[in-house]
Amino acid sequence: MLAATSAVVGVIWDISWHRTIGRDTFWTPAHLAIYLGGALAGAACGWLVLQTTFAGTAEEKAAAVTFWGFRGPLGAWVAIWGAIAMLASGPFDNWWHNAYGLDVKVLSPPHVILALGFTGIQLGALFLVQSLQNRAGEAGRRATGLLFAFGAGILVQNIAIIGIEQIAFPNSAHNGLYYKVAGAAFPLVLIAVARASRLKWAATTAAAAYMAISLVMIWVLQLFPATPKLAPVFNPVTHMVAPPFPLLLVVPAAALDILVQGWGPGRDWRLALFGGVTFLAVFFVTQWFFAEFLLTPYARNFWFGVDQWDYSSRVREWRYQFWRIGADPVTPAKLGIAAILAICSARIGLWWGNWMAGLRR
Amino acid sequence: MVGELDGRSAAMTGRAGRLAAVGVIALIVSAHVGSPDTYFEGAAGPYRVRVIVRTPGVVPGLAQITVRLLSPLPQGAPPRRVLVLPVYWDPQTAAPPPPDVARHVPGDSTLYSAALWLMRGGSYSVQVTVEGAGGSGTALVPVMAVATRRLALDKALGAALLGLGAFLFAGAVTLIGAAVREGGLEPGVVPDRRRTVRSRVAMGVATLVLALALMGGRVWWNGVDSEYRSGLYQPLHATATVRTASGAQVLRLAIDDTSWTNRKRQWTPLVPDHGHLMHLFLVRDSTLDGFAHLHPLPLDSITFETHLPPLERGRYRAYADIVHESGFAETLVATVDLDGWVGTWRPTDSDDAWTTGNGNRETGNVVGLADASTMIWDKSPAPIVVDHDAPLHFVVTDPSGRPARLEPYMGMAGHAMITRDDGAVFVHLHPAGTVSLAALETFALRQPGDTIRGLLGARLTALEKGNGERGAVPDGATTMPGAHRGEPLPAPASLSFPYAFPKPGHYRIWVQVKRSGRILTGVFDADVHAAR
Repeated sequence: MLAATSAVVGVIWDISWHRTIGRDTFWTPAHLAIYLGGALAGAACGWLVLQTTFAGTAEEKAAAVTFWGFRGPLGAWVAIWGAIAMLASGPFDNWWHNAYGLDVKVLSPPHVILALGFTGIQLGALFLVQSLQNRAGEAGRRATGLLFAFGAGILVQNIAIIGIEQIAFPNSAHNGLYYKVAGAAFPLVLIAVARASRLKWAATTAAAAYMAISLVMIWVLQLFPATPKLAPVFNPVTHMVAPPFPLLLVVPAAALDILVQGWGPGRDWRLALFGGVTFLAVFFVTQWFFAEFLLTPYARNFWFGVDQWDYSSRVREWRYQFWRIGADPVTPAKLGIAAILAICSARIGLWWGNWMAGLRR
Repeated sequence: MVGELDGRSAAMTGRAGRLAAVGVIALIVSAHVGSPDTYFEGAAGPYRVRVIVRTPGVVPGLAQITVRLLSPLPQGAPPRRVLVLPVYWDPQTAAPPPPDVARHVPGDSTLYSAALWLMRGGSYSVQVTVEGAGGSGTALVPVMAVATRRLALDKALGAALLGLGAFLFAGAVTLIGAAVREGGLEPGVVPDRRRTVRSRVAMGVATLVLALALMGGRVWWNGVDSEYRSGLYQPLHATATVRTASGAQVLRLAIDDTSWTNRKRQWTPLVPDHGHLMHLFLVRDSTLDGFAHLHPLPLDSITFETHLPPLERGRYRAYADIVHESGFAETLVATVDLDGWVGTWRPTDSDDAWTTGNGNRETGNVVGLADASTMIWDKSPAPIVVDHDAPLHFVVTDPSGRPARLEPYMGMAGHAMITRDDGAVFVHLHPAGTVSLAALETFALRQPGDTIRGLLGARLTALEKGNGERGAVPDGATTMPGAHRGEPLPAPASLSFPYAFPKPGHYRIWVQVKRSGRILTGVFDADVHAAR
């Protein structure tokens, strides 16, 4: 879990680094945090697997799965897989930059492998905690449940980072794409957590964890002085640029929690239908108006940080305007597509949640 | 966006087709042909510096710069500091970031190195500032950032990545199987047959899905790769033809690249370099025994014409050096078949010169020139090695054996043209190095307000003609002030050209100087060995 947190904090830090300073080497603290996450997860889970296989008690061995002759908890295997994927992405990414240039793109094949890697570590941590939660007695459930929700919060954060271009900035909140991406991505995790966890407000807790990580990063990063080192510098920033303000996901997550608690298992198709539509409706109302607030002068301060932009941007009025509302306005048809995506996402989330609810090893 | 595309992006348009046949590693040219690195020697205020910029071959990428201080450090003087900063040509560029302090290379008290971040394709000037006891001074070094190659995946790395990939693939399939088979079982329970079958089905489905994902990844990678390759730098396409007009032969060079001929071109216009919009070099193919340095006149922005000297019949390589107003210098390449003609040559420009044969060589490094003076290549017997400082020092003596009194030839003490016998390398050097003087001047003259195309070029032309503000170009050491079209000042009888050969092989060198109004060409040969 520590490894998963380290990796996700590292990624947010790295993005802020690229928006503030511009250039980097492998040895930036942000990169170290990402790879520390990988190394920590790989080493801890590797040790766990070796220990279980060669020196494990009968009980430990019984609570493990077999992988090419070795025994270990499923979550440990997933995390090891993630760590190896991260390891492989390093030299691949290095070659990629030497062959095709030092891209500052978020999405490139080596970055996707890196993302798969740290997602693997996060999933592994989640599975480890979940199997503990499922096997724990009443006493241990609350602690494992909270840990599980925190792990899910990191996953939500992960989605928010991958979708940074589409859903991170309030300026996109009046575009059709914003709701399509959010509808497709978030119900999956939130409803799965609500279903799998023994905690009452699991999805809400996960959403709160995501927001807490984001807020801490916003408030902490701004404290550090930094100057751009790459031309052209149109915006001479003096401190690390704050990441975008988090989505108010606690609101739709609470709605999902209520639905999942109220309906219980067995009516999953209906739950997916209502859950998807409810998520989108609540998310739409919350974000539509909250984004309007974020673009007002009241949000241009330390707490919200919406006035901070990359060193390479020519800061003008567009900072406080909705973007592309002419090209991609929100229409009933687009909301309909977003709702269908949200329903599918919720249905898959329920399958996944059911599987996690039964996870024992 | 207009104006930001000069350079690489402009070269991208409409060129994909021609690049289809490019092999695994494309051999592409830069501002010179096959010689992408920049060599510069000049003054940074009171300090003489030799600067080498090794380009990464990719954009965005990291170039390596080394700065050697040639002025000796006085006894007890405080240590000097060398700062480097690449500045993009575009005048819209905002405040530059702080310059980088070049690090002292251990074991060499006069050598400094740093990495330059060249983030966009096109023309940069690297500001090299030296601070020391004598004050501080800055030299501008024009550098072209162009993508010239695609790094091949080396075998060991490829194998390691393939192994890791295979491991991850098999690992993912196994994990999914284990998750379905045992994940939901209470500890200690052995999976039954139903679970085992379901697990096998899941593994089959996972294999299929992962294989599809891998294929998707492959398509994506290939897409990135082909887009990158189509963006590799190619000089503008040019075609050379010959026609006979009133008893003389006229060579026509047309820049017929569609990115240049179309009306909406992104390129900035050409500016004169040493007073000429184009420097055209003809080199006889394979035998290298015919050479001409001509200055065609523009009929319009596409077509350039010059009278041909009576070169022998045969196929010739044509290299045309041009400089854009953005400071982007490039060498266009074409071939032309000459049928050999005899007659009186009427040069189009008084700076035109030609030579034929292998030169009047007595020995390898002492060459008799056409006016009975002698050019000596002052080199050590040590072999010339790729990427090491080439000993290109030449001395000219008059018929009585004393140092000759030379005149500047197009503003320079001398010019050296170097080609490898197969044509894979062609460079045009001055004592200031590989940099184009005109490119340097565009950077020195450019002001933030220069957003209208052609105006900077007009100022530069006025300056070249001698009625502009001559002092605008700060670096007096790279040019010979006042010497260009005005009063000829004597040029030193010995010349040095900072350069390192980029590839091993057999090279021919033509060194041109001017004495008593006559352009003299010395022809030399060099064998360059691979670095051990």
